[in-house]
Amino acid sequence: MTERINRLITIATQLRRDIINTVYFAGDGHPGPCMSIADILAVLYFDILRLDPGNPEWKERDRFILSKGHACPALYAALARRGYFKPSELKTLRSLGSRLQGHPVQQYAPGVDATSGSLGHGLPQGCGMALAAKRRGDDSLVFVLTGDGELNEGIVWEAAMTIAKYKLNNLIAIVDYNGIQSGGKVDKVSGLVNLAEKWRAFGWYTVEIDGHNIEELTFTLENAAIRGRATNDKREKLTIVPSLPLPHPDQPVVFIAHTIKGKGIPYMEGNNAWHKRVPTDEEHQLALSILGGLDLE
Amino acid sequence: MQGLEALAEKDERIMLVCADSLLAMRATDFVEKFPDRYVEVGIAEQNAAATSAGLAIEGLIPFFATYAGFITMRACEQIRTFIAYPNLNVKLAGVNGGIAGGEREGVTHQFFEDIGILRTIANITILVPADADQARQAAIAAASIPGPVYIRLGSGRDPVFFKKDSPFIPGKINIIQKKGNDIALFGNGVLLPRLLKAAEILTSKGIGVTLVEVHTVKPIDVPGVTRVLKDCGAAVTAEDHNIIGGLGSAIMETAAENTPVPIARIGLRDRFPGSGRPDELLDYYGMGIDDIVKAAEATILRKSK
Repeated sequence: MTERINRLITIATQLRRDIINTVYFAGDGHPGPCMSIADILAVLYFDILRLDPGNPEWKERDRFILSKGHACPALYAALARRGYFKPSELKTLRSLGSRLQGHPVQQYAPGVDATSGSLGHGLPQGCGMALAAKRRGDDSLVFVLTGDGELNEGIVWEAAMTIAKYKLNNLIAIVDYNGIQSGGKVDKVSGLVNLAEKWRAFGWYTVEIDGHNIEELTFTLENAAIRGRATNDKREKLTIVPSLPLPHPDQPVVFIAHTIKGKGIPYMEGNNAWHKRVPTDEEHQLALSILGGLDLE
Repeated sequence: MQGLEALAEKDERIMLVCADSLLAMRATDFVEKFPDRYVEVGIAEQNAAATSAGLAIEGLIPFFATYAGFITMRACEQIRTFIAYPNLNVKLAGVNGGIAGGEREGVTHQFFEDIGILRTIANITILVPADADQARQAAIAAASIPGPVYIRLGSGRDPVFFKKDSPFIPGKINIIQKKGNDIALFGNGVLLPRLLKAAEILTSKGIGVTLVEVHTVKPIDVPGVTRVLKDCGAAVTAEDHNIIGGLGSAIMETAAENTPVPIARIGLRDRFPGSGRPDELLDYYGMGIDDIVKAAEATILRKSK
């Protein structure tokens, strides 16, 4: 295990601690859906994304859209720890006048690239942003993290078609495939099955990964980013997962990240009661003792 | 579309987003001139609206153009949450507005709720041009209004009402004629020729008429409308839209808060219409010249003595 990976593991733990504290102190929020993306966000925000927290509007930065906006305590934690604002602001989540609205709002929270929370919209917004990036001609990338439940929405698949049609190989989608939506298991609630085949049928290069394996996340996302930034002639030789066939140079990429809702806190893992719930004092203390790490500053 | 071409020539940021609506919008010339400024998402209006939001986040100025109802109903939430809430510079151009706009297609393609729906959403400017040249001017004006703008268009075969390059000032009422102050007629869009005829008939009967075009339904020109209402003391509104939610509602709200006077609304009377020829439809569904004249005469009688 390298220093790079160990650092990211520590950061992911810190994000989980921030999430628990944020929801506890704010007295509201969705902890379960945050925990399943904590590792993905740690890798993106602390290793992959090209960002300048001092200049959130930097044209050539990478864009990130949290399509599953209800998991914003995780995004806010990543932004705070990355330096967009002080971690102490996390406690203001969902309170009157806060920049940290109940779902992310681009004009309020520094570092939030797109408003989200009404499910299914990250991919079409990302489509427009990736089209604009192609038009600018720079090598910035657009990352979209969606839930699995929101793949029920038809607009997701409308956008999946458009993104493939326009060969937006500068857009990288990640599905947080924790298998549970608000009302239960995704296959039971909505009939969402054969997910990888669905994406492949829509023309996407589809990679299934373990969304909690920091090493796997880091290397596959890094490969996808290098490929996304490459010039057309170089792109055709670039791999994402060496054991898989090469993607077509024009293809957009989607990672199906197999995850566990509530990951990291044993009493939350796979338990959908934690889709939206605030920990009691005892549960809060127990979670912190499991996680370790620093308190909110 | 001529307006959009003129804009695109001057401004690199102008884009056209279609939902397989290129032919309906008569936009093939635009695409020939600016092929890389055209985004086609297919018959997927929600995606078109949210993709337009993404383009606008990055500083481009997309015009999303298709049928009025597919914009304002199918993609209503995308407009509200992802365009209007972030106040993005997306321009929405909706054709087949009104029952005359949709004419022989029937209710599926006749859109008479669009203005009412969008009027309840903050940050959106609503423009209702009356003919092709005014539509051209509205498109040009929309590009320089910051934030989302909805341009409500008819069938594209609407009668010419204004001389080319007649003044079009968004946000201001346009007083077309002032021949006395017994009654104010407020109207827009395809009903303007009918209002003009009605005004002539009323004048010939010795009734003084102030005829006002209200092409900007939101934000409504409160001082302008109030001035006319105070001067005339009674009004008729006329629009090819449901009488609920559109121009009539906007004028009545303005009156009730500033200078309550009797007002009658001409429009589709909260029912579903059907297919037909445009003039036939407007007559049948209560938007005839006669309807306007009768409403004016009846409303004048309601003035407090």
